[in-house]
Amino acid sequence: AYEPFFVYSNTQTVDGEKSIVLCNLGILKCKFFSLTETPENYTVVLDEEGFKELQPSEHLKVESSIWLPLNVVSNGNASSSSQAVGVTKIAKSVIAPLAQQHVSVFMLSTYQTDFILVREKDLSVVVGTLEEEFNIYEEVGGESVPMLCQDVANALQKNAKEATRPTVHPVLIPQNQFCVMSLDPDTLPSIATTLIDVLFYSNGPKEDAQSSPSRDLDCIKFFSFSLIDGYISLVMDTEAQRQFPADLLFTSSSGELWRMVRIGGQPLGFDECGIVAQISQPLADSDISAYYISTFSFDHALVPEEDIVRVTDMLQNQRKEPAAS
Amino acid sequence: IMSGSKPDILWSPHHPDRYVICDSELGLYRIGPTGGSETKAGALPLSEETAATLLAINSDTPYMKCVAWYPKHEPECLLAVGQANGRVVLTSLGQSHNTACKELVGKEFVPKHARQCNTLAWNPVDSNLLAAGLDKHRADFSVLIWDISSKFSPEASVASEKIRLSSVDLDSSTVVTKPLYELGQNDACLSLCWLLRDPKLLLAGMHRNLAIFDLRNTSQKTFVNTKAVQGVTVDPHVHDRVASFFEGQVAIWDLRKFEKPVLTLTEQPKPLTKVAWCPTRNGLLATLTRDSNIIRLYDMQHTPTPIGDETEPTIIERSVQPCESQIGSFAWHPSSQNRMVVVSAANRVMTDFTVFERISLAWSSTTSLMWACGRHLYDCSEDGAEGAIEKDIATKMRQRAQSRYGHDTVQVWRNHLLAGGKDSQLKSSHMKQCAEDMELKLQGNKQAVVYSGIKNIVKTSSGTTESRRCWSGSDRQSDVPRYHSEERCLALRLCGWISRGPDIDVEIFLRSLEHEREWERAAAVALFNLDIRRAIQILNKGATADKGDLNLNVVAMALSGYTDEKSSLWREMCSSLRLQLKNPYLCVMFAFLTSETGAYDGVLFESSVAVRDRVAFACMFLSDAQLPRYIDKLTNEMKEAGNLEGILLTGLTKDGVDLMESYVDRTGDVQTASFCMLKGSPGDVLKDPRVQCWIENYRNLLDAWRFWHKRAEFDIHRGKLDPSSKPLAQVFVSCNFCGKSISYSCSAMPHQGRGFSQYGVSGSPTKSKVTSCPGCRKPLPRCALCLMNMGTPVSNCPVTGKSEEKVDLTRENKLAQFNNWFTWCHNCRHGGHAGHMLSWFRDHTECPVSACTCKCMQLDTTGNLVPSDSS
Repeated sequence: AYEPFFVYSNTQTVDGEKSIVLCNLGILKCKFFSLTETPENYTVVLDEEGFKELQPSEHLKVESSIWLPLNVVSNGNASSSSQAVGVTKIAKSVIAPLAQQHVSVFMLSTYQTDFILVREKDLSVVVGTLEEEFNIYEEVGGESVPMLCQDVANALQKNAKEATRPTVHPVLIPQNQFCVMSLDPDTLPSIATTLIDVLFYSNGPKEDAQSSPSRDLDCIKFFSFSLIDGYISLVMDTEAQRQFPADLLFTSSSGELWRMVRIGGQPLGFDECGIVAQISQPLADSDISAYYISTFSFDHALVPEEDIVRVTDMLQNQRKEPAAS
Repeated sequence: IMSGSKPDILWSPHHPDRYVICDSELGLYRIGPTGGSETKAGALPLSEETAATLLAINSDTPYMKCVAWYPKHEPECLLAVGQANGRVVLTSLGQSHNTACKELVGKEFVPKHARQCNTLAWNPVDSNLLAAGLDKHRADFSVLIWDISSKFSPEASVASEKIRLSSVDLDSSTVVTKPLYELGQNDACLSLCWLLRDPKLLLAGMHRNLAIFDLRNTSQKTFVNTKAVQGVTVDPHVHDRVASFFEGQVAIWDLRKFEKPVLTLTEQPKPLTKVAWCPTRNGLLATLTRDSNIIRLYDMQHTPTPIGDETEPTIIERSVQPCESQIGSFAWHPSSQNRMVVVSAANRVMTDFTVFERISLAWSSTTSLMWACGRHLYDCSEDGAEGAIEKDIATKMRQRAQSRYGHDTVQVWRNHLLAGGKDSQLKSSHMKQCAEDMELKLQGNKQAVVYSGIKNIVKTSSGTTESRRCWSGSDRQSDVPRYHSEERCLALRLCGWISRGPDIDVEIFLRSLEHEREWERAAAVALFNLDIRRAIQILNKGATADKGDLNLNVVAMALSGYTDEKSSLWREMCSSLRLQLKNPYLCVMFAFLTSETGAYDGVLFESSVAVRDRVAFACMFLSDAQLPRYIDKLTNEMKEAGNLEGILLTGLTKDGVDLMESYVDRTGDVQTASFCMLKGSPGDVLKDPRVQCWIENYRNLLDAWRFWHKRAEFDIHRGKLDPSSKPLAQVFVSCNFCGKSISYSCSAMPHQGRGFSQYGVSGSPTKSKVTSCPGCRKPLPRCALCLMNMGTPVSNCPVTGKSEEKVDLTRENKLAQFNNWFTWCHNCRHGGHAGHMLSWFRDHTECPVSACTCKCMQLDTTGNLVPSDSS
């Protein structure tokens, strides 16, 4: 059973401040748009169309390479025995092999699917690495075209440098609970003001600081909005969720909640590889579902609330004996 | 982005007068005739004849994305509504006392992860199954098949530890969270439809592919990558034919070769919003695009299924405009032919509209007309107006063919009588042919000149002499010069004025005219021959004859007063009063008498006078300089008018074909044209494509009328005059032993008939018959009935058993030849004498050879047709 593999149009990653992003929130003509707020900064991922609309600014830091989003499409065959979904599901088939080939990846999980962004220059290596297990298609004008890579062998050799021991990054596990949600695009206008308010004008946890000082230490501000191919995905904590009308946001009927694992003590940059693999591999071993959202500075994994204790133990063990993998 | 209030229409599957409009709410309407007794004030006019009444409104379900009507008869008004959050709610319109309905209404089917429900489809057979197509979720399935009869079972759900009943209202007993089937993981489903060829198969338009799911094995699916994933719909008439679309393009699929679309329809500039097969008409697809006030129709009725790779499919594309405003949606009526209701994009304006079928029309070979429109076939034949039918050339030709028009080749002149004898042009042309034939018989060597027409004859005229004759019975010298030459004489003969011989005596002609009571004409001819006394005598005779016209006596009196004095009162009065004479011959008589010498326009251009009389007149009184000019002018006049009388001038030359062409253009009478032109020279005239066209068309007409005997006679006649038209032998009988053609060795045998091979056609029983192959001397096959060897004439063979038949066959002498023909079945290869076979199959359906069950005669499509003419 082969699984088709999609490649989207070019995407660039930028980092900016409030003012810039605000005036560009209206860019809905781009097909790929993602905005993530973290305590450090705002991360915007958008396609070339959208990037052209973005006004240059001294506040804007741009990761200058072009990234291509990959997307694993299930062909619907035999529903896997594993309950786990998302990054965990593709940890072994995609993320680990790419890490081995020293391909740096930028993850973006949404309500609908998981995007793995890779640098355009790494494409031939990616295709060479993945074509054993997947059918790879390129999306050209909405049509899926089978993709063939010519100099795969060369590319693979070039990238097969001597394996450096991966750095084990420190993790932070904040206390707030997160929801992953979606929205009918038709109702987007009705929540637009709330959305802007939550993103830019409420200081979130900081305002609550007085009422519950303990929260301030343990919670981090994290909000992600993406509009990709007409689909909206929202990640926010339960505090923020309360500000939205309950009947408009889509989530799971079981009302599942997620906890965050933030990876990295210092900004991770874009070149290091194997970071996602570090987290996803043990999660896959334990069959724990996960969302994974990379930002300009840090990576963020979301795991089911009920599994956070197992995950914490697992990560602590990993740090004790880093050579285990 | 779709607007939430985009309207749609659904017809009730079981009530042909009810439909639902869904936009922000559901509205149930009943459609009925306007002006009926039950029309209420609130009725909305939908067309000139129909109006709709709003029966019920349901606004219980917000965020509606799609609606599907329960397909079974009961409960009758149960609807499934798919919502923006992926929930499917069962609801109803109007009151229902059905308990099953009460149980179902309000039931909700909730997916694990909320996202938009794009489409719903009830299983047409197992109506408990409701398929819902949802948007993509990274961890969930996009095609959920719910069992609407299933009860909420908390035990089953609680089994999963992850369930938490906090914020979401799962406490209600009407909520179902466990689908019967989950398909299409990590994918999006945009459209769904159950396949009619097997209700276990579900066709789904997924993200970038069309997939067929089989409920018996959900781990497998058939899929094809395509962009055209929206609005999948199966043709209700061809269960393997499916339509889907993407933006402005419709793709038609054949499920038997589900690799690529069998065809794609012309791309529209705007995105499509609905594509629907007409349920009441085979192969009719209606499409609607955004912001449009037309519905485009694609007629695939005559598109072969499956569509081959080589053949260009025939699709008739057209568009209809049901209303002025922009169309929001439409729905075909489930049973009323080609009917649809259309709802406008704004304000819910509805229109009842029937797509008019294209009309196909066909003339029969007789006078009736047929046309097909939809499922109706109309036969139109003229009634009452007898005259109109009689005037119709097709009817005329058919009647004439029946009365053997053209077939009298011995007495050609009789043909105009066969044609009904009323047409002076036909009479003229046949009389002329008759005259020509006479000439031909007598002169033999001058054939070329005779058929070339007077126009050519007078051109060759030479040695003309001029004479001034006295008026007969008068001493006075006439000052009218008369011209003579051999050619002029021939022309006069062709005009029928004089018969053959050295003396140019018109007396015979005059007598024949008198006999036919053509008094005026006879008098004119006599006068032109300068016999004024004879003319007066004829007029007198005409006046006194039975039912004669007494006025002729008055004319005779006027004539007797003739004086050649130029300035006489007689001359003056006659030249003006003659114009008031109604009879053209009387008129030209006085014109002749009052004309200056050589200026006879009053006679020559009197179009009511027969062409041959005017030509004869011209040949007598026009000089060598005047005559050809006049003849040319008259010829051109005749050619333009397509007047058959002109054949006299043109003869059967190229000029004659031109004339006949305008005659056929004017009348359509290919019959006369064919018969006339057959007489023309085979080299020039018969090879003219126009002539061949007339002949072929006439033969086709005879075939269409089933006048096969007439056709055969015509072909024989044609073959005699134009040997090159004879078809070559196409079928030969070959010997079973040596393989050589046995007819070949008897090539002296005339070829007869088509499609039949015959041998031993001679009707004479005394002639010796060949019963063995001339090549190898082995015996020829035997007739399956009389068991005699082929080649033996039927009249010789003793027919055992049926003495009655023997009498029959010998009595019908004419048929004897045909009865001797050998015929066989192309299927079982048994055969025998044609006569025997015909009589056998009169009472039997199976082959006469024992143990052969071949139904030979039924296989012969032409054998069962009956000619409508008798031989």
